[in-house]
Amino acid sequence: MNDKLRIKKLYALSSENKKFSFSLPLKDKIRIGRRDYAVQLRDDEKLGTYILWKNRKYPVEIVRSRQNKYEILFNDISYTFTVETPFSLQRMKVLSSGKGKKEQESLRAPMPGKIIDVLVREGSTVTRGEPVVILEAMKMQNEIQSPVNGIVKSVIAKSNTNVMKDDVLVEIKVE
Amino acid sequence: MDLSGKSYKAFTERQEALKKQYSRKQAEKQHSKGKLTAHERINLLFDSGTFEEIDAFVTPANQPVEFGKVERTYGDGVIVGHGKVNGRLVFAFAQDFTVMGGSLGNVHAKKIAKIQEMALKMGTPIIGMMDSGGARIQEGVASLSGYAAIFHNIIHSSGIIPQLCVIMGPAAGGAVYSPALTDFVFMVNHTSYMFVTGPNVVKEVLNEDVTADELGGAEVHGRKSGVAHMIYDDEENTILALKKFLAYLPSNNVENPPLVADDGSTPDVNEKLRDIVPDDPNKPYDVKDIIQLIVDKNSFFETAELYAPNLVTGFGRLKGKTIGIVANQPKVLAGVLDIDSSTKGARFIRFCDAFNIPILTLEDVPGFLPGKDQEHAGIIRHGAKLLFAYSEATVPRITIILRKAYGGAFIVMNSKSLGGDFSFAWPTAEIAVMGPDGAVAILYRKELAESKNPAEMKKDLVKKYRDKIANPFIADELGYIDEVIDPAVTRKKIISAFNALSNKWVKVPARKHGNMPL
Repeated sequence: MNDKLRIKKLYALSSENKKFSFSLPLKDKIRIGRRDYAVQLRDDEKLGTYILWKNRKYPVEIVRSRQNKYEILFNDISYTFTVETPFSLQRMKVLSSGKGKKEQESLRAPMPGKIIDVLVREGSTVTRGEPVVILEAMKMQNEIQSPVNGIVKSVIAKSNTNVMKDDVLVEIKVE
Repeated sequence: MDLSGKSYKAFTERQEALKKQYSRKQAEKQHSKGKLTAHERINLLFDSGTFEEIDAFVTPANQPVEFGKVERTYGDGVIVGHGKVNGRLVFAFAQDFTVMGGSLGNVHAKKIAKIQEMALKMGTPIIGMMDSGGARIQEGVASLSGYAAIFHNIIHSSGIIPQLCVIMGPAAGGAVYSPALTDFVFMVNHTSYMFVTGPNVVKEVLNEDVTADELGGAEVHGRKSGVAHMIYDDEENTILALKKFLAYLPSNNVENPPLVADDGSTPDVNEKLRDIVPDDPNKPYDVKDIIQLIVDKNSFFETAELYAPNLVTGFGRLKGKTIGIVANQPKVLAGVLDIDSSTKGARFIRFCDAFNIPILTLEDVPGFLPGKDQEHAGIIRHGAKLLFAYSEATVPRITIILRKAYGGAFIVMNSKSLGGDFSFAWPTAEIAVMGPDGAVAILYRKELAESKNPAEMKKDLVKKYRDKIANPFIADELGYIDEVIDPAVTRKKIISAFNALSNKWVKVPARKHGNMPL
């Protein structure tokens, strides 16, 4: 990060809105809630990058990164989080207080095709990126994914029926 | 001699006055909107202590007619200058919203035009950070003509130096065309807008209620209109991403992209590549998983990620050398080519070609999207753009056929007869005029109609077609592809092929310019 802005702290914000803070330059310490944990980040040839905690090694793999957004694999569980500076965290607060979020999301067919399978029911919890409907089009079983975290409010799509482009398949209440 | 002497008095006073002009109050006003000031943006962009400002003391032009107020401030609402980004010379301008809403007056425009001309002469990238209310009404036609001069400079420099634009506030009316003309547009979520006519005019003329965000926010331009290529959630990350992005590009069209030291951590032979494409040709997969394993670790930088995601475009590195990547994405819309993906791909290819960036194409495409929607909207002429861009490109071009390569789409996606240098295919490739079902239905229509068990007969014929025709081996034996390769050695093959092509030189016949079907 740039020295002009003198950033001494960074935050990692998980997809569940949990906040972790780090001091800059990075020290072998991470603060969760009010407690500090002695955690070390190390590299070696055999394991790649790993976290050293209480003398045990836990390999970490960065699956995907896009600027400040990361998806990592840790203990075979994938986590997504963003890295924020004090200013960007502040900005997020300012912006989220101003506008109401969209409450409901209608998932629509991206192209004409045939519904092969509906993977959710009314009341199912879905996470962003989770396949909800399988739509066969262009000879491909396309996974139609949920664009948001939420609860399925109604399922309109039925297996073995044809849909047109932009037909509503599932309605999701945004959480 | 010391600066407190009498002859330096005017000099130091002016310096003090300029400093005073940037008050804390104005900075807080920007911060409260979630925005940074023009100075902070400049500081973030340039390597520490390298930025040199030009024309800091110019004052606004005199008004032809007294109407409205013009603040007599230094700089006229824009900071221009040069400095180092990742150690390389870059020119930049940053509009200052705290001075008359960043409106573009005559002097303001002249400052921008001045560094545009300098950047072109020096052959360095230019970056514009836009945060402006639009033309300065008080200055009338002089302001409009200022815009025109800026546009003309951008077009004049297009294809010679990389021109990047970051929208960090409003850009309305004529102002939108200066980003639109540049190579890549970055936008910040929730605090930047672009539209030709704003929400107020829309309400007045069409009686339609729409918010600035719905009309021309980052989400709209990143996902729907394709005007913006890279979207981030805050200004700091937008600028940091821009710096990272710039490291892939050469400074101008006669240089090669900068070479980054390769740490050698990416294996040249990777058996994981054998397991990504599913056996069932009707099952999708994420082509980005393949890209990640082919390019240097963590070097893939996707462009226009949200727009037409059925075609993935972006930059990556092979042993530290920049390449451009164009890949069909079976995970989205089965990876079809439609109007949006064709224009997205064409524009990306032309950028790579202009700036000496070799192109790698990963192909898995069922064809062009059929239907009234696409035909009526002109898929013929838009698809032709992709064809034109590939065929015209003289940079090294390599194709890997991962799976489907059917019909016109096979031709378009950098086939050898279009001038592609190397075509490789994975054993999973299906190369034919059309998919098995379509082919059987046409060739055996009569037989199928007369058959007692058409379903069974069709199944047999489809299998026969898949085994005998829709495979990479016929194309290989006829020389339309160069080699069928083990997926595991893909990276190794590409690196050696690009090395073989590193001195590629194509002489094109002299002409003013081609006539792309726009």
